[in-house]
Amino acid sequence: MRLTVPVAKVLSALLAEPETPRYGLDLMGVTGLPSGTLYPVLHRLRAAGWLAADWEDVDPVTEGRPARRYYQLTGEGARAARLALAELRALAPAGRTSSGGAEPAGAPAC
Amino acid sequence: MLTRRLAGLLLRAAVRRWPAQLRAELTREWAAELHVLARQGRRWPMLRFAASLAAGRAAAPLVDRTVLHRQLRRTAGVLLLAPPACVVVVALTGLAMGLGYGVLATRVAWATDAQLPIWTGLTAGLAVLLALAVTRAARHTVRVGALPTTLGVLLPIGATAIVVLALFATRGEGGALDLVPETLLWLALLAPALWAAGRLARRGRTRLAWLVGLLGALVAADAAVVLAVVSAIPAVPVEPVVDGLPADAVDRVSAPLWLLNCLADSSLGLPRPTDWELFLITDRVLVEPLFYLACTPYAVAYTVAVARPGPAVVPAAVPSVA
Repeated sequence: MRLTVPVAKVLSALLAEPETPRYGLDLMGVTGLPSGTLYPVLHRLRAAGWLAADWEDVDPVTEGRPARRYYQLTGEGARAARLALAELRALAPAGRTSSGGAEPAGAPAC
Repeated sequence: MLTRRLAGLLLRAAVRRWPAQLRAELTREWAAELHVLARQGRRWPMLRFAASLAAGRAAAPLVDRTVLHRQLRRTAGVLLLAPPACVVVVALTGLAMGLGYGVLATRVAWATDAQLPIWTGLTAGLAVLLALAVTRAARHTVRVGALPTTLGVLLPIGATAIVVLALFATRGEGGALDLVPETLLWLALLAPALWAAGRLARRGRTRLAWLVGLLGALVAADAAVVLAVVSAIPAVPVEPVVDGLPADAVDRVSAPLWLLNCLADSSLGLPRPTDWELFLITDRVLVEPLFYLACTPYAVAYTVAVARPGPAVVPAAVPSVA
């Protein structure tokens, strides 16, 4: 398995609150990834079946903005993401491990 | 207002780089985010959002890098080894033809007439075997567009031809350099044939792709033979080199068939070329048609094989992102 830093960041952010759907701009803020990096990652995670995407059910007129697309880990995706991040942590030197959160714990530097 | 328009332009440029089936949803999704940023008056984040998408890489199919590297090595191996293999095929079949002639010459009267057909037959047989091997290997090579595939097939053939001709030239075979124009013409005409075959195969029209590729290759080889003959042998008779022999001239009326005449060493039952003209033609053009024959099956086979739509992509269990 090969996990890169952007993927690890996205998975870590989504795993922080697995039940909470997140939209692109929100994930950009949490992960610090630019849009040009984030959206290809989201697309690949969806293609792998790890992520589900749904359009927000809002009335654009009432809200004053178009509906957003929200992303959430699938059951399989959450399990696979936990396993992948755990494997990543195991690879990292002891001094670099962190207690989790939005940062990719133990993710190797670029 | 200006930044919003600029951001819109960047988004449109960005979305065009994604697969067509994803564009509508991505446009909607990104436009929604852009709208929020614009409403909040966050101009620079809005521009950064759009510019990053425009400059970033579009998502590619999930491919393990180790698999990709293996595919690249296999592609390079196939494309670089096949042309020298064609040279070996021509050389080996020439040797076999010589041995076969040695056996036949003492037993049958038609041994001399059978030399070239034997050489052609053996070359065609081995060329088909090479094409089958290349097609098999093509299952695990990199799939790219028709143009890169065409260049990937033709450039190694051209390089191999140059190396072989240079070797002959350094050995004092002055005539080797005379083969350069016809080789270049053959490659130049083969390129559009392979490109068209690749385009057709990509659209799933495999039979038509084969037809176009093979007919195009036939035309390319024929044109190269015609160029070689007309540039060396006049159409109008001149003084014979040796008294008592016909003049060195070849009537152009049979030009379209010269490739087949060379391969079969026969006028194919037609009045032209005459036996003497056939002698002149095969004296000038002997090995080249066999090299074209050796290269054509694998070149067309590889182009069609790599261009054919691949199997449906099964979602990978593991994301692999650069």
